[in-house]
Amino acid sequence: MKLNIEGLLVYFPYDYIYPEQYSYMLELKRTLDAKGHGVLEMPSGTGKTISLLSLIVAYQREYPLEVTKLIYCSRTVPEIEKVVEELRKLMEFYSKETGEKNNILALALSSRKNLCVHPEILHANIIVYSYHYLLDPKIADLVSKELSKKSVVVFDEAHNIDNVCIDSMSVNITRRTLDRSQANVETLQNTILKIKETDAAKLKEEYRRLVEGLKEANVARETDIYMSNPVLPDEILQEAVPGSIRTAEHFVGFMKRFLEYLKARLRIHHVVQESAPQFLKDIFEKVCIDRKPLRFCAERLRSLLRTLEIADIADFSAITLISNFATLVSTYSKGFTIIIEPFEDRTPTIANPVLHFSCMDPSIAIKPVFERFQSVIITSGTLSPLDIYPRILDFRPVTVASFTMTLARTCLCPLVVGRGNDQVAMTSKFETREDFAVIRNYGNLLLEMSAIVPDGIVAFFTSYTYMENIVASWYEQGILENVQRNKLIFIETPDAAETSMALEKYQEACENGRGAILLSVARGKVSEGIDFVHHFGRAVIMFGVPYVYTQSRILKARLEYLRDQFQIRENDFLTFDAMRHAAQCVGRAIRGKTDYGLMIFADKRYARADKRGKLPRWIQEHLTDGSLNLTIDETVQLSKHFLRQMEDQLGLSLLTLEQLQSEDMLQKIAQIAHQA
Amino acid sequence: MAALSEEVLLVVKRVRQRKQDGTLYLMAERIAWGPEGKDRFTVSHLYADIRCQKISPDGKAKIQLQLVLHTGESTNLHFSNESTALKDRDAAKDLLQQLLPKFKKRANKELEEKNRMLQEDPVLFQLYKDLVVCQVISAEEFWANRLSINNVDHSLSNNKQEVGISAAFLADIRPQTDGCNGLRYNLTSDIIESIFRTYPAVKQKYGENVPHNMTEKEFWTRFFQSHYFHRDRINTGLQDIFSECAKQDEKGLKSMVFQGVKNPMVDLLSLEDKSLDEGYGSNSTAPSTSNTNKTVKENSNSAIIKRFNHHSTMVLAAGSGKKADAPNGQACETSSTDGNSRDSDFFQPPIKKVKIQDVIEYEDLHRENGKKTVALNLKKSDSVLSGSALCTASCAIAALSPGGVLMQALAQQAINQMVPNDVQGELKHLYTAAGELLRHFWSCFPVNTLFLEEKVVKMRSNLERFQMTKLRPFQEKVQRQYLSTNVTWCLQSQDCVFDFPLVPPL
Repeated sequence: MKLNIEGLLVYFPYDYIYPEQYSYMLELKRTLDAKGHGVLEMPSGTGKTISLLSLIVAYQREYPLEVTKLIYCSRTVPEIEKVVEELRKLMEFYSKETGEKNNILALALSSRKNLCVHPEILHANIIVYSYHYLLDPKIADLVSKELSKKSVVVFDEAHNIDNVCIDSMSVNITRRTLDRSQANVETLQNTILKIKETDAAKLKEEYRRLVEGLKEANVARETDIYMSNPVLPDEILQEAVPGSIRTAEHFVGFMKRFLEYLKARLRIHHVVQESAPQFLKDIFEKVCIDRKPLRFCAERLRSLLRTLEIADIADFSAITLISNFATLVSTYSKGFTIIIEPFEDRTPTIANPVLHFSCMDPSIAIKPVFERFQSVIITSGTLSPLDIYPRILDFRPVTVASFTMTLARTCLCPLVVGRGNDQVAMTSKFETREDFAVIRNYGNLLLEMSAIVPDGIVAFFTSYTYMENIVASWYEQGILENVQRNKLIFIETPDAAETSMALEKYQEACENGRGAILLSVARGKVSEGIDFVHHFGRAVIMFGVPYVYTQSRILKARLEYLRDQFQIRENDFLTFDAMRHAAQCVGRAIRGKTDYGLMIFADKRYARADKRGKLPRWIQEHLTDGSLNLTIDETVQLSKHFLRQMEDQLGLSLLTLEQLQSEDMLQKIAQIAHQA
Repeated sequence: MAALSEEVLLVVKRVRQRKQDGTLYLMAERIAWGPEGKDRFTVSHLYADIRCQKISPDGKAKIQLQLVLHTGESTNLHFSNESTALKDRDAAKDLLQQLLPKFKKRANKELEEKNRMLQEDPVLFQLYKDLVVCQVISAEEFWANRLSINNVDHSLSNNKQEVGISAAFLADIRPQTDGCNGLRYNLTSDIIESIFRTYPAVKQKYGENVPHNMTEKEFWTRFFQSHYFHRDRINTGLQDIFSECAKQDEKGLKSMVFQGVKNPMVDLLSLEDKSLDEGYGSNSTAPSTSNTNKTVKENSNSAIIKRFNHHSTMVLAAGSGKKADAPNGQACETSSTDGNSRDSDFFQPPIKKVKIQDVIEYEDLHRENGKKTVALNLKKSDSVLSGSALCTASCAIAALSPGGVLMQALAQQAINQMVPNDVQGELKHLYTAAGELLRHFWSCFPVNTLFLEEKVVKMRSNLERFQMTKLRPFQEKVQRQYLSTNVTWCLQSQDCVFDFPLVPPL
């Protein structure tokens, strides 16, 4: 159908449209009009992707000078492929409706193998790739830095975007890294010697260039050709490479000294935590390394590798890592912390020192993106509470909205189980999680559900260790035997290949009618990337509140940083983080309006307003007082009732073109979007 | 005449039957005898029809073989070649001995199936009595399309679908204390079967050790004592014969994991486009997977988890009749396409593409989301409608439909108040029997083969006979005792048949 979104002609490749899709497009268009950023939450399965694509492509056609490019970022390979398929569908619809030959060039990058398509990127109208191509400075610099300012960037499935940002800026250095770097340095030294004998001019030319400084890059950046790179800070572009590392030999010598220093720092027996300025002070005192040359390390190494015409840069990954660390630690005085641990917490007897250089501020990595591109859309099925993302990513959105799922029948049923039938509180709270009664009640819940839910049940635990312990006790108590009478049991393991197989078998068992249970872990790969549509997930049970492991020093440092810099209280952040993962887990089972499923939150703490209030609106609105703090028996009764109701599909929530033309309807649609 | 393609398994010359010399042939599906010098068989029995064979006692002058049929008839064969008579007879006997059980099974199965159907369905049983026992139609005719209908329903059972295994079969082996510090396990053959199918390694051990190394009892005692059975205990004892099984299971699991998954959408390995390079990232809590750092408890826990996955996989495989560790046909078929080309959307493996298209499809947003119905394509609808075939057919249907003759009769007078139950029952039987016969009759249309033509004629005479032997007497009886037009519909609908011109319309 052809839609009129506030004066914009939008080709939408379906005969009907969900009301929320219409509403979503409306908000999206307003964001583009304002040339600002947006945060949009809409449940999965309501056609978010096609709405985004339809509207932005239409916008691009209508205002080719205002928006030249769509950069669509998603997280996983299957998601990227889904976007490509939807785009194809849209393009087919366009050529069918307009009769024109498709003149939009779309490009999908879904592997590093495709990095060589760089020139094409500049010409494509639509680019689909993973977050890393934009957020990881190491890749962004190769692939994305020349993308036009007038692009619209979409981060889909963006609920974890802060973690992606942080990961792309954090570095861990072990003894192994240092050893490999040492080897790299020696190779470099030998290569330099060889070149000096054969082609000394080459090195001289490099030297000349470095004296000239990084002017070229500077000019390019000032004239807006390039996106900035957090590893290549603005200041250094205006300066020449310091004399101490300008010749190749000097640079290699410099790196050797730096490596020696790092090695010495790893020789410790207790944990050290320090800030970047403290680290710089120490390195200056101990080995007289100045801040300035350190800042140029990454760029200097890149230049050297280029000059030496080294083909396989992958061999030099260790020394590249060290040079990136050097540049980052000397560039950012805030937002990072250095933690050196002599051993893993779990194994205090085995020495395995690690230097964690941890980014605590996700806004550092994403800043260039917000600064460069006129519209950046952060969207996902779960982005609640909406106001936290602009805070932790440090940007000012023009649109913040959450859309609910319009339903002809209530196809999702969230229930909070707070007690066993024995009235013992059900919770994964640290103090009571190992209690026999809690574990038994969790087991009983699973057992009861396995008897009444058809086909597939997915259950998530708060951590892998916790799951292991519970499974072991359930096994000893004979609970799992009884569950097996109803369904087959499959369990996620730390091994991805093993888990993939378990997943496939799980689906097979759901398919052939045997029914199965998948025990899995929140924050694990399954919870983040696998959908359990229809009979593959008729119920999701979330055992406990999936708080992150709070004893980690890195996390503690980050929480402190959030508190000091963004005035976000530790508890608020931890709860937000736990609830977004819980929402991700339970949302795995509802992937559309024809789908249906139970969402069992098995922890009494979910009933509290501070937890409940952080769930996405489309879940929250179905969570009534009657579905809080239930016993197992009550849960079973409500679930049975729900499942019976769901046996028939009752009507659909759709809009026709005619309906969209009525004022009345448009007013109703406006209420779907909930402005934060 | 024998079909040309029949395979002859054994030929015995100089066999006498009814004092005539001839040759005996044992074919793949039947045994046949033909008189000397003639190229046709005068005796021919399907193996399935033979109930048993009997032989004359050793030392008797006449060396004979008797075939007893299910019908009770028998055929005597006299082996008359003086020198080799005994040998000939034994050869035939041995071959028959091998062949008969095979066919017997098949015959029995069919018989059992028929029996079961009759027992389960009283209406059918009554029908059988009305039609077959009273010799309105033959048993074969009666079963002809019943069995085939049934075959569709039970096609799986005919393919010998194996009964699945309960996932909890191990839990069903509840040990009981025997009162003097021991445990008693009760094993049934079902459980043993389940163990063997789920854990082929145990079956292999059983085969290797029982009975030459140990008794069956000893074997199972050891099994239940083994660390293999109690997987949560860490395997230490080397003398345990089942320690190898655990390793074998592990190996099987590994090879399955190594083969990877067929469904690209659940492949966690290819989920991430780009994992961070080594050394980057904040996730320092990545668990070290090496076993050296694990505590005993952690090892035992992960062993339990592995065991559940393995157990469920094996149970699932045993249930679907596949061997879990062998790649099945489907896998072979697709493995060539879903290789490693996952990263380019131009070379997307077909399954993946289909799966993705499946996922992105919003079927409710399409106008044509109802199931497509097949439009009836009538080329010459006029001629069809005016044709006598349709006329009679519609007449019959009208009579049988609500509001038809029968229904009218029922509506006019509450039949249950007028006639006693046994008459009502009889009427019901007649009704179903007539319906059945009519079904046979109408199923012959369009009469486009010789067979159908014969059948239609036969069915017509069957109907006539039914009318004479059953309906008329009943009608007379009812008319004598009560009022009524009750039976008229039967007669009418059959009259349609009798009026029907038996000319094949094609």
